[in-house]
Amino acid sequence: MDASEREQCRAAIQGDREAFEMIIRTQSRTLFAIAYGILQNREEAEDVAQDVLVKAWKTRWRVRDPEKFPAWLAAIARHQAHDVFRKRRTVPLSEETIEAIGPEPTDTISLDQQLHSALAALPELHRAALTLRYFEEMDYRTIEKTLGLTNGALRGILGRALASMRKQLRPALASMD
Amino acid sequence: MATIHNEIDDWLAADLHGDLSDAERSALHAHLLDCAACRKAHQETKTMNKILEETLAQEKPDLQFEQRMLAGFRSRVPQRSGPIKLLSDLMRLRAAQIAAVAAVLLGLVQLGRMITGENAIAPRARDRFANEQLFEQQPAQLADTSEPDSAGSLAKTDELAAGKPKDLALAAPLATSENRLRLNKEFQSLPATVAPAKAVKTEMAARETGGQTEAMNHAAQPSAAEPPVTELANRKLIRNASVELEIVSFDDAVQKITAFANEERGYVATTDSQKQANGKLRGEVVVKVLPENLDRFLQKIRGLGELKNQTLGTEDVTKAYFDTDARLKNARVMEQRLIDMLQTKTGKVSDLLQVEKELGRVREQIEKMQGELKYWDSQVQFATVTISLAEKDMEEPAAFLIKEHAQLALYGPDVEKIYNDIKALASPKVQVTNAQLNRDYLGQVSARISILIAPEESGAVVDRVKKFGRVENFQTQTERIAQGGEGMSENAKTKRDKVELNITISREEQEQAFQQTSLRIRTSSVDEKAKELRALAEKQGGRIRSSAFSRDPDGREFANVSLRVPMKNYPALMQSLNSLGKVENVSVQRQDRTGAQIDEANAPADISIQIYRQGNIVSHESGLLATLRRTLAQSAGAIMWSLRMIGVAVAFLAPWVIAIFAIVWIAKRLMRAKRKL
Repeated sequence: MDASEREQCRAAIQGDREAFEMIIRTQSRTLFAIAYGILQNREEAEDVAQDVLVKAWKTRWRVRDPEKFPAWLAAIARHQAHDVFRKRRTVPLSEETIEAIGPEPTDTISLDQQLHSALAALPELHRAALTLRYFEEMDYRTIEKTLGLTNGALRGILGRALASMRKQLRPALASMD
Repeated sequence: MATIHNEIDDWLAADLHGDLSDAERSALHAHLLDCAACRKAHQETKTMNKILEETLAQEKPDLQFEQRMLAGFRSRVPQRSGPIKLLSDLMRLRAAQIAAVAAVLLGLVQLGRMITGENAIAPRARDRFANEQLFEQQPAQLADTSEPDSAGSLAKTDELAAGKPKDLALAAPLATSENRLRLNKEFQSLPATVAPAKAVKTEMAARETGGQTEAMNHAAQPSAAEPPVTELANRKLIRNASVELEIVSFDDAVQKITAFANEERGYVATTDSQKQANGKLRGEVVVKVLPENLDRFLQKIRGLGELKNQTLGTEDVTKAYFDTDARLKNARVMEQRLIDMLQTKTGKVSDLLQVEKELGRVREQIEKMQGELKYWDSQVQFATVTISLAEKDMEEPAAFLIKEHAQLALYGPDVEKIYNDIKALASPKVQVTNAQLNRDYLGQVSARISILIAPEESGAVVDRVKKFGRVENFQTQTERIAQGGEGMSENAKTKRDKVELNITISREEQEQAFQQTSLRIRTSSVDEKAKELRALAEKQGGRIRSSAFSRDPDGREFANVSLRVPMKNYPALMQSLNSLGKVENVSVQRQDRTGAQIDEANAPADISIQIYRQGNIVSHESGLLATLRRTLAQSAGAIMWSLRMIGVAVAFLAPWVIAIFAIVWIAKRLMRAKRKL
């Protein structure tokens, strides 16, 4: 983080609205990526990102170190998305809707759907790391910092994530080749 | 290259994501050339990566995303504007924060001072504050002075009604000065919410006129008082007064009151009087006087004696009076109309009867109301003065009664005989009120008699009772009871009441000895001397109460004898005891009873005597062996004792000795260790 960014974060923490809006411009995509990684739904992810920003503004005084401000935002996003995800899961589907959806025709599952279900099978952290990488093309250091990981941990996470998906999608991949 | 092979997934991902250093990348590619499995994985991962990139690219937020986020944030967190924003901006400054904290602290300190009651004003500010207070007080004072004025004028109107114009005549001429009148107007025109400065100025002006504000206030009165005068003529006021007086002679006072009443064109309505037991008179006189003369009348009455209490009351019945008056007029009209109806005599008989009945009712009402009005008229016409009179020294007693209580205790050999003798005294002037004879489980008898004796007989009867036995504890008590009052009186009669005599009769033995003596007589032949003692006692009129004889193993003999003799024979008996042997350890104890009459010569004296023989003084355990044994035993005891003491000393010192030795040992070890080093 360079000096100007740190200064911006410091001003935002002290209540400078313009500085905070600047941070919204730079950080909201990251937040969206994290939320999308966990939720796999654009609308929900966007809502989460929005909520996170408001929440962050209201509780900005909790952050002492401006250096950690982006990581703090990411942590809020993860928690918020996790909460939404849990709530979504606990809402039981009524029988009518299940019937309306009907049994999925296995033979017509597109590659896209397969990919999504493979993604869904990954741990939350892995999904967030993946989206950060593929949406924002962040380098490993930044992702590690954002998600609060130790140096070098991301390599293992992304490696395992890709391998696991690769194994799940092997038939489809084979057909592609 | 085993590590690359094992962690191929990580390496492949890192390679695709561009996270490998040049060295790492060449190492990986070298391995991929070697290992077919890893090559396949590499291929798959590359495809996987591509799919992910393609698929997720669709899910990426659009270009407007940041704008939406900003807009959403702005709408949900509205920007503060105006003073609040300024304040929050200001609060961001460190200096402002410090200032705010300081202000809060100061505020808390002031609050604390206010709560604890300490003066919270800084010295310099205090002067200013005092000035302000001064300015505020002055208008308040103005209001104060003007308020009693109005109240005063009201009070005066009341007095006017009573026909007693007192101060007004004085006040009116004072009001002539033009200057004052002008000022007065100024005062009245002052609005209630006058500015302090202006009020002060006015006050100053008032002072310039020579401190005559007071006089000027009086000037304000006539104008306020005048209108009520005319109004008051029509008011119906009932005036009542009650006076309580203490006078010397009741009859004198009543005569004078009558005279005063006549002077003031009134009359005495009722008098009543009661004579007390001590000849003093108490009574009440009700006088009716014209209301306007009431005050003068009361003044005169006060001169009759000491005024104890006075109340003056006025009751306004104007409203009730005129209400009744109006209703009376209506009723009269009604009556006339009914009469007219009867005179025209049209209609049915039953209707006429109805009219007749109604007429009767109306007339009854008219009479009642007329009565009421007349009553009020009479009440209003004359003021009622109720005078309570009481002659001086009302509480003086009428007579004194002397009550005498006497009680005595009799001791005699035959309780029953005395009991019957006393009962035989009974006559119309000597009445036995209570007599009881008790016999306890030992067969001992005691009795209790209460007698009432006529005063003239009392001396003789008491003397006769005293002769029946030995008298102890004769007490009389005289009480003087005032009747019909309290305190002293010079001319009250004194009367003697019946004498109440309480007698208790007990057997002689139960009487407590007047004097108790104990002594020992040493003699060689106890038995014989005891017999001699009995003979001596009998000769002196004594009685043996108890005697005992004992002998102990050492050959000592004791004879304990206790006897009772009359006091008059006591010295002779004591003298004769010397003939029995050596008299030792004489102790005499005498109980003087105060407040009781005692026949000392016949009072009993108890003597307890121990006659004894010493026996063998020398112990049976004698001789060398016994002495040796005792000596050994004593020395053994001494040794045991000293052993115990040593044990205590050791227990006391041991911890110290151990501690000292330990320290010395440790010090030595340390020294040795140092030397070795």
